[in-house]
Amino acid sequence: MSRLDRWFEGLTRQSARRLSRRHWLSRFGGVLVGGATLPLLPVARAAEDNAMGEDGVRGREGDPKRCEYWRHCAIDGFLCSCCGGSHTACPPGTEMSPVTWIGTCHNPGDGKDYIISYNDCCGKTFCGRCMCNRNEGERPLYHWYRNNDLNWCGGASAQTYNCSTAVVVKTAQEAQPER
Amino acid sequence: MRPALVIAGVLLASSTASADSFAEHDYILNCSGCHRMDGSGSRIVPSLHAMGELVGKPGAREYWVRVPGAAQAPLSDARLAALMNWLVTRFTGRPPTPPYTPHEIATLRRTPLRDPLAHRDTLSRQNTGNIQHLESTPR
Repeated sequence: MSRLDRWFEGLTRQSARRLSRRHWLSRFGGVLVGGATLPLLPVARAAEDNAMGEDGVRGREGDPKRCEYWRHCAIDGFLCSCCGGSHTACPPGTEMSPVTWIGTCHNPGDGKDYIISYNDCCGKTFCGRCMCNRNEGERPLYHWYRNNDLNWCGGASAQTYNCSTAVVVKTAQEAQPER
Repeated sequence: MRPALVIAGVLLASSTASADSFAEHDYILNCSGCHRMDGSGSRIVPSLHAMGELVGKPGAREYWVRVPGAAQAPLSDARLAALMNWLVTRFTGRPPTPPYTPHEIATLRRTPLRDPLAHRDTLSRQNTGNIQHLESTPR
């Protein structure tokens, strides 16, 4: 026991002789600041691009909270996944409109096209977060069935638009011709 | 060995079917957004199940193609004919006889309905006789 005590005593005295408290503080501060700046390095950003989404798609195209998510190809509105809901469910207190805009999107994960239903969530004032306006395959108002500037809350009991979902209906036999 | 060949033949035949195989796809993409997947419609969109009320009435066959949603759908005459044959069978329980042809669809699409709901009321009140003269030409 006394041998262990002596060893620790020696170690402590030695480090007290060699290291000042300021020296330790400066090293410790360096580690703190350096650790905080790690995510800013290109390495961390590259890692984010390799993150795998639920559909097996890598990077931003696989993240339902990003506008770049593959299912959002024809969306025009606020993403429900940023508004308290998800990309398939409405936020609490809102109602999913039965009347909806429907189109197809290409899934880069498996190379197939899918029919996507952009059901709007209605009944609360507009969400205001994660505005996404990609409109691929959208057509002017005279093609009303391919226009998403209409208020698709028309079929719900309250017509106030809150946010939009992107629900997969099934695989498409072909991509929609409006591209 | 032989049953396998027969099954393979059936699968091949079904996979090479032309416009007919797109009927459900075209329904989902062009109709279901408003009429919904099950055709039940909503507060502001008519239910497709109400098509059954017009079965057998003169002018119903033509009316179903001339409604704006069908006549203006961004589909070729052949694809719309296949879609209408599928749709009428699904929502009335019996296939249109004779089946719609692309030629018939092309002719019907040329005469738009100015007031579809009023035209439907006239059709449903009609029991016999030919009412083709109603709205048969664009005003």
